Amino acid sequence: MIRLSILAALLAATATVSAQAADAPAEIKLGTLYASSGRYASISLPVHNGLKLWIDQMNADGGAFLKAFNKKIPLKLIAYDDQSNTATAATLYNQLITQDKVDILISDCGSVLTSVAVPIARDHKMLLFDQTGTGATFFTPDNPYIALMSDPVSTIWPKPLADFLTHDGPGLGIKRVAMLYATNDFTGTQANAVRKFIKESTSGVELVFDEGVPTETSNYTVLLNNIRAANPDAVIHLGYASNDIAFLRNVQDSGIKFKFLFAIYPGLETELLEKNVGDKGLSYVFTYVPSSAISYETNFGMSLKDYSTAWHNKYADSKIEFGFNSVAGYTTGLVLEKTLATAESLDQLELRKAVFALSGNLKTLDGTFELDPNGAQIGEITPLGQFLPGDDDHQKLVTVWPHELANGKPVYPRP
Amino acid sequence: MFTYSLLAGLLFGLYFSLIGLGLNLVFGVMRIVNLAHGDFLMLGAFLAFWLFSLFAINPVPAVVIAFVGFAIAGVPIYYLLVPRLLRAKDPEMLSFILFFGLAQVIEAVTTIAFGTSERSIPGNQLGQAIATVESLFTGHAVEGGPVEIFGQTFPASWVASGIASGCAVLLVYVYLYQTRLGYLTRAVMDNREEAVAAGIDVHRVSAIAFGIGLGLAAVAGVFAPFMLGSITPAMGAEITITAFAVIVIGSLGNPLGTVLGGVIYGVGYMLMQSYFSSWANLLPYVLLIAILLVRPSGLLGRRVRRA
Repeated sequence: MIRLSILAALLAATATVSAQAADAPAEIKLGTLYASSGRYASISLPVHNGLKLWIDQMNADGGAFLKAFNKKIPLKLIAYDDQSNTATAATLYNQLITQDKVDILISDCGSVLTSVAVPIARDHKMLLFDQTGTGATFFTPDNPYIALMSDPVSTIWPKPLADFLTHDGPGLGIKRVAMLYATNDFTGTQANAVRKFIKESTSGVELVFDEGVPTETSNYTVLLNNIRAANPDAVIHLGYASNDIAFLRNVQDSGIKFKFLFAIYPGLETELLEKNVGDKGLSYVFTYVPSSAISYETNFGMSLKDYSTAWHNKYADSKIEFGFNSVAGYTTGLVLEKTLATAESLDQLELRKAVFALSGNLKTLDGTFELDPNGAQIGEITPLGQFLPGDDDHQKLVTVWPHELANGKPVYPRP
Repeated sequence: MFTYSLLAGLLFGLYFSLIGLGLNLVFGVMRIVNLAHGDFLMLGAFLAFWLFSLFAINPVPAVVIAFVGFAIAGVPIYYLLVPRLLRAKDPEMLSFILFFGLAQVIEAVTTIAFGTSERSIPGNQLGQAIATVESLFTGHAVEGGPVEIFGQTFPASWVASGIASGCAVLLVYVYLYQTRLGYLTRAVMDNREEAVAAGIDVHRVSAIAFGIGLGLAAVAGVFAPFMLGSITPAMGAEITITAFAVIVIGSLGNPLGTVLGGVIYGVGYMLMQSYFSSWANLLPYVLLIAILLVRPSGLLGRRVRRA
């Protein structure tokens, strides 16, 4: 009787595995967009290349393991070029869902090109694997179809900066802060957060200049003169890479010396900024210290050093710089790998459950992957750093806040 | 703040006059819209970047190289594209399609060659050039850096670009009004059919004008890394739109009206940046609509539309 029961159980198990194998798709379709031209190309292509690197690694190893089918399945990437255009992106996101019927929907980089994907994914009940779209408005309690993979939500980004200004700032003599920002979801949300942090503090720090400019702005000379007229102790500029390049070049060319100057992209895309602004232009500039500059302890995937080597081997002549965004694309892949390995099926809410189960447990080269209940990334923080002249004529990025992560002291005022 | 915005607007506007000048010259002579104008400007910018990166050639000599190179290249491009276009029933409309396609090709090829990332030339390069010229006049060494105008300080690159733009306008004026070729060019601008009937070799005149138009675009491109923050292969389309707004404001078909259009755009843009910064980029479109509604021939249209 016992033998019969064991035999029956074995037969049942074999039948289940056979059924799973028979149902398993020949490939898993990952749908995404990238921008090969236009304003966001320089940040989109590194993200896309990082994701492709992960896919190539997976496929070289027979594909990704799917718990739902108990086997490795090759990954097929379906990627379209949105040319940095939100209208084109909206059409292509729809095409990925309705025509290509992708299993996994991954957004293009940045908040602008992600903004159109959020409602589309929600309407089609597809979980959006949001790579770097950090606009706070994307994450709401009534939308379960989004999870932010690689960057902290924009409201988190400026916290170390604001904390530094309101805690250490007054002691250094920083009382008057000027803020100039590009009016898009990414930097607009950060500007709101800075405003809120400063308003809520009792440090006596005040905003004496607070202006938004279109993201397409490429000339800041008049704005710099207006900022100087406000006589600030610290200047914060929040923009995309092209904005930061123009802003920092204009600061240099105008001969204006601000005592404290913060910009986002010198830390995020250091290679790109060094090429365009030069070492002198980056000297003493404050910025975020991103994952591409800190070696986090990992429990999954390559370390920063190994990944950097792999990237440079694969894309040696691609004319695309290694930086924060290249780490972001690979991190998306790592989260996907873990998700597919633990999800019971490819049902979108089941995928969501698997992604959320990783929250707080997954540590990649991008830091700790941690989501809030709305899918916003809150684990990967952005410490405040400052570029200081190094020994080899190059600028060295030193972390100055929070104190527990600091490996150097801030230089204020800027010499 | 107002004075600074006004002076900055004048300098910035002069640069946009230079951007629009070539486009308007081509339209004036051929009655075709070169939608690839911004992309030729972008090519001029990458030429300057390439000359500086590989051979450390300062942007000032690059201006001459860019103008001569593009003016010469413009002649065969003209003969390849324009005569066939002009034989069509509706050359103006067809020119939109043809040059739009050409713009896409130029952008794609440049992307393959240079990648998509932003590129630029160090800002002090033009400052050094100005300092060298200044030291020649004053007899003592002058340090390159910002330049003071009426008590206001501006980047040296703005002043250099303003001077180059002024020179370009002057040369176009001399070409149009002081040379025999310019006389023939104005005849073609006035009435192409009558010019043909009068025995003028309109294709030769047009080809030279087309070459000069491209040369001017390339010269504007040399200054783009300094005036527009950085350069990318995708920058052309936006520049073409702004250039089109500038020449419509001044007067479509009248190259010298472009100066007025450029200055109005530049001053308006800088004042918008100072007082309504979030809305600054709407300016070219607002001006374009306003001019088309109020004075469709442009501000200088009635008096000098026909050069």
